[in-house]
Amino acid sequence: MSIFGPFQSNSSRVICLLALFCLPGKGLLASELSDFSGVFQIHGFLTQGYVKTTENSFFGESKDGSFDFNEIGINASYRLSPAMMASAQILSRTAGEMYDGSLDLDFAQFDYAYQLNETNRIGFIIGRSKNPLGLYNDTRDVAATRPGIFMPQAIYWDRVRNMVLSNDGGQLYTEGQYANHHFSLQLFAGKTPIDENVEKSYLGPSFNPRMEQDGVTTGGRLLYEWDGGRVRLALSNASLTLDSQTSLFPPGSIDIDYWVLSAQYNDGPWSLTMEYMEEPIDYAGFGGFMDVADTTVDGYYLQGSYRLQADWEMFARFEESHYDKNDTNGKKSSAKLGFPPHTFFSKLWTLGLLWEPTEQLMLRTEFSQVEGSIFLSNLENPLPNIKERDWNLFSLLVSYSF
Amino acid sequence: MKIAYHAFAIGLLLCFCGTAQSIDLVINPDVSQETISRNALRSIFSMRMTRWPDGKPIHVFVMGDKTNLHSDFSKQLLGVFPHQLRRAWNRQIYSGMGQAPTKVESEEEMRNQVAETPGAIGYLSEGNINEHIRTISVE
Repeated sequence: MSIFGPFQSNSSRVICLLALFCLPGKGLLASELSDFSGVFQIHGFLTQGYVKTTENSFFGESKDGSFDFNEIGINASYRLSPAMMASAQILSRTAGEMYDGSLDLDFAQFDYAYQLNETNRIGFIIGRSKNPLGLYNDTRDVAATRPGIFMPQAIYWDRVRNMVLSNDGGQLYTEGQYANHHFSLQLFAGKTPIDENVEKSYLGPSFNPRMEQDGVTTGGRLLYEWDGGRVRLALSNASLTLDSQTSLFPPGSIDIDYWVLSAQYNDGPWSLTMEYMEEPIDYAGFGGFMDVADTTVDGYYLQGSYRLQADWEMFARFEESHYDKNDTNGKKSSAKLGFPPHTFFSKLWTLGLLWEPTEQLMLRTEFSQVEGSIFLSNLENPLPNIKERDWNLFSLLVSYSF
Repeated sequence: MKIAYHAFAIGLLLCFCGTAQSIDLVINPDVSQETISRNALRSIFSMRMTRWPDGKPIHVFVMGDKTNLHSDFSKQLLGVFPHQLRRAWNRQIYSGMGQAPTKVESEEEMRNQVAETPGAIGYLSEGNINEHIRTISVE
């Protein structure tokens, strides 16, 4: 029998994995486990990208052509019973100056679901789990689930990826099917692993910002699916407060609220996706010096994909981001904060082609025409004044998953 | 002219019926269910529903994405393309929320696995069942 993972077993040799998890409720276990031998699976992925830009740096020194874009992940899951599953994933991600490829624990969680009836269930997750935000956040580093080589930056910023990536805490969820309507609600709360990318995006790198989370990140997603996913609609949110120190101002805090509205329509070979993000940011303290930076960032994208044959797909995407949703050309923000207008917005047109010669292998190529530079990382482009306004982006990606 | 259109439409329909194979949804005989709703079937094959109403674990078997049988099964019984189903699996596998179905290489292997695995569900082209498995109809 061939299997999806390189290793799948019904045996009890998964004790080692179980040892990683603290299993709550032993009484719960006994009855669930009585007639189930457990299923252990291992899966993973290997992705390598190539990025070439005419100006600016994105995922490495891309003006010279960059291979500084790869993702390697491996996960193990053990289903103890139909209701219980333990799983963990290790991830190494290299993305230019933003992520250096060091190993991260992507998630490590224990999931319990109580089946209310044939199609309705309620459950909880404890541990480090991925935040369900928009349609793609929880698997944003897995090429096989992304809508393109890069996540649409208007919603899923790489420069502040960790802010909404995962939480150390828990989730409560419920899902139900009523005739042709499927609803799911996931609520999460937990500590967010803040990194330098986040610090140097919300405060200028020259201030040497250091941030710590005040309290926990809370949020959730309500997802509605009609007719087995023909229509998918979602509303997602994450809120967090970052206590910040800088070398220049008195300490302060930054309140961030992150809202995403998602809609997708799938019909045979066609797929249309739209997501809109709004992110109010409130700077408090800092001796009042940062009040001027209070804003509501917004962005959206529209993507249409067409499956040409079983193995081939093409897509077109337009996306747009604004530092201030009431200042789409960046002029007002530029007058207030001093950097060139084009550092306060971006507009991208992308055309892409996907080839999946086997179930495991995917190849993508994309071309983007870009105006503006808001989504470029300050770590990769340290001097905002020399970010170029008009540039093109060409990329290739190969990914193997099992 | 209208008749020509109708003839063309009927011709297309016949073509479609001719190429698409009839598929039997098959289960291990220990599963007590007689029929299954289309929604429950979608939940099972998207690996969200993990147990039968009587509490027994569900074990899902599928053929490769590129086989005609899997493609026809996905489109006819689930109403999705194989690549959409695979993305649904991947979203679960790589977020820790679910596991992958077990892949078999042939209809013979499908028949044997479904017969031998308690709680198993799979599919075969029509007329390929034997006495060790049974079919279940979609409501």
